[in-house]
Amino acid sequence: MKIIIDGEEYSCEPGEKVYDIAQRNDIYIPTLCLNELNTEERPAGCRMCLVEIVDENNDEPNLESSCSLPASDGMEISTKNKVVYDERREVLELLLSEHLQDCRNCGISGDCHFADLSFEYDIDGVSVCSECPNRKDGCFLSREILCLGPVTHAGCNAFCTRNGDPCESCFSVLSNRDVLVFGLEAFEENGFTREEVLEGTKVFSYEDVQILKELMDEYDLLNKEVSE
Amino acid sequence: MKDIDLEVKHVTRVEGHGNIIVNGKEGELERVLWEVSEAPRFFEAFVKDKPYTQLAQVTARICGICSIGHALTSLKATEAAMDIEVSERDTLLRKLALHGENMQSHVLHVGYLALPDLVGEGSVIPLTSSHPEEVKKVISVHKLANELSRLTCGRTTHPRRLIPGGFSKLPSPLELENMKTKLKESVPVLQDIASFVKDLSSALPDFERETEFISLTHEDEYAFYDGKIASSDGDITPVDDYLSVTNEYVVPQSTAKYTKNNRKSYMVGALARLNNNYDHLTPLAKEVAEDFGLSPVCHNPYMNTVAQLVEVVHSVEDSLNIIDDVLDKGIEEQGLNYQPDIEPKAGTGVGAVEVPRGILFHEYTYDDEGRCTEANCIIPTNQNHGNIQHDMEKLVPEMIGEKSEDEIELTLEMLVRAYDPCISCSTHYVDVEFR
Repeated sequence: MKIIIDGEEYSCEPGEKVYDIAQRNDIYIPTLCLNELNTEERPAGCRMCLVEIVDENNDEPNLESSCSLPASDGMEISTKNKVVYDERREVLELLLSEHLQDCRNCGISGDCHFADLSFEYDIDGVSVCSECPNRKDGCFLSREILCLGPVTHAGCNAFCTRNGDPCESCFSVLSNRDVLVFGLEAFEENGFTREEVLEGTKVFSYEDVQILKELMDEYDLLNKEVSE
Repeated sequence: MKDIDLEVKHVTRVEGHGNIIVNGKEGELERVLWEVSEAPRFFEAFVKDKPYTQLAQVTARICGICSIGHALTSLKATEAAMDIEVSERDTLLRKLALHGENMQSHVLHVGYLALPDLVGEGSVIPLTSSHPEEVKKVISVHKLANELSRLTCGRTTHPRRLIPGGFSKLPSPLELENMKTKLKESVPVLQDIASFVKDLSSALPDFERETEFISLTHEDEYAFYDGKIASSDGDITPVDDYLSVTNEYVVPQSTAKYTKNNRKSYMVGALARLNNNYDHLTPLAKEVAEDFGLSPVCHNPYMNTVAQLVEVVHSVEDSLNIIDDVLDKGIEEQGLNYQPDIEPKAGTGVGAVEVPRGILFHEYTYDDEGRCTEANCIIPTNQNHGNIQHDMEKLVPEMIGEKSEDEIELTLEMLVRAYDPCISCSTHYVDVEFR
């Protein structure tokens, strides 16, 4: 029997899993839960191996985890398209949100599939707040002290706030605009001015100042006069 | 005698760029030059308009070795400008932080940079096989110094907990108790290192040139953190009048400014402090100094390395006293994310602190919003450049005809290293050229 992956035809056995067919033919599909220690069990737990079953009659994309998807004759699969990429990226973001954030400082960095995938999918949606011990009580912002944690890359394990000082964004601002906007809103709610935020950012990066400035203009944030 | 024509590149073990140039023809010395070719850093320009809360963090980046010293000097200048009070406990803890840095820097210089010259090796690496036990001891003290810095400042380099008015986070009594144990254990290790260096100290050149020594001095203590400016020529100057001591001037061969006070140049650093404040050294430190025959006033710049070793012992002993003092006074919880209440105001303040390489000055002027309008930083190595030049001018003629080119080159490099110059924060080389 035949199966089509990314426009190419491949022969396969009935019931063979799509992931295994792809592996056999050197087609890259990322996975986290399937590894050399775990080849037989197919928990389909990490969801990173999502692929799309192409079906022209259906408008909604049909995404399945390829490690547990049995091939059927004539089945058409896409492993590389925007829907698949975005979905995998979201899966990874969710997984990473539960993970220790100082990936960059980790001893096995460079030999870690999780970290490799985060780089591949350009995941940086997590701010210093996620690591900050004060995020529940004693947030600097609520005490009128500017802390750039909400717009800054996690990965330092919130070193400065752990030592009692606000974040100065030395890891530079995130590239995830949604999180940046969320952070800027937090500054606005706590009564900080545009000048204060930009001045704080300037200590480590003029480029970041430019990024934040553009976002503030685009979303009309921190533009209002602060009421005394 | 034939012409001297020799060029050595990539000589290591100093921080920054500097060149030694010696020209000689037919036995006649034409030129001896200590050149500093480092690019200017402009820190004074880019702290302008910054709020007072940022200055210590920014100026600490002037140096990766003396970052604690720069942060403290900066804080002292800011606190002087705005009349900010620092509690007795916090002052003690700052002194502890300074000892941590002093030990870090001195152990690094004595153990890794200067020691290879005494053993006759090109770097510390061969020493790991020829003298493994001694090198391990040096590393263990260096590690301890790093831990002391981390305990007080949050990390080993670039302190985070030092803020205007005190500390953003304090070490716990338990942490201090543990540090005390480790410091006590390091005393015999240091004595071993001292006797090892003593056995090699005959390799230190016997050279003297009468020199003026400038350092802080204090009635009650071996001055590191507090005091007035003292000259070995006898005059005492308040810190606020530091410009009357430093008298900076520009010379063509150097991008770093030179300084002079009573004479054509002066020396700062461990030897200057020891010469000016010998009586306040702790007992064990004095013992080490006596072992080396080091007593004030010593005019041999090569003995700066020994003075550093003496100061490490002093730092350990004094740290033990400080920790006892702090624990006696008690450390109260100051709460999560403590930030002292400070009302910024206009003013000018000078901070002076003895950092490993000598006396360091920061001066800031603030406007009434607490923004810096003017800054001046005078760094110890700048104050030593003139003295290095003048030492060379006396030393080279003494050696020409007596020593081989290789020996002259090594002796001059050792002289530069003895000053432990931090020509910039990047570690590069001294380029010795004989032309």
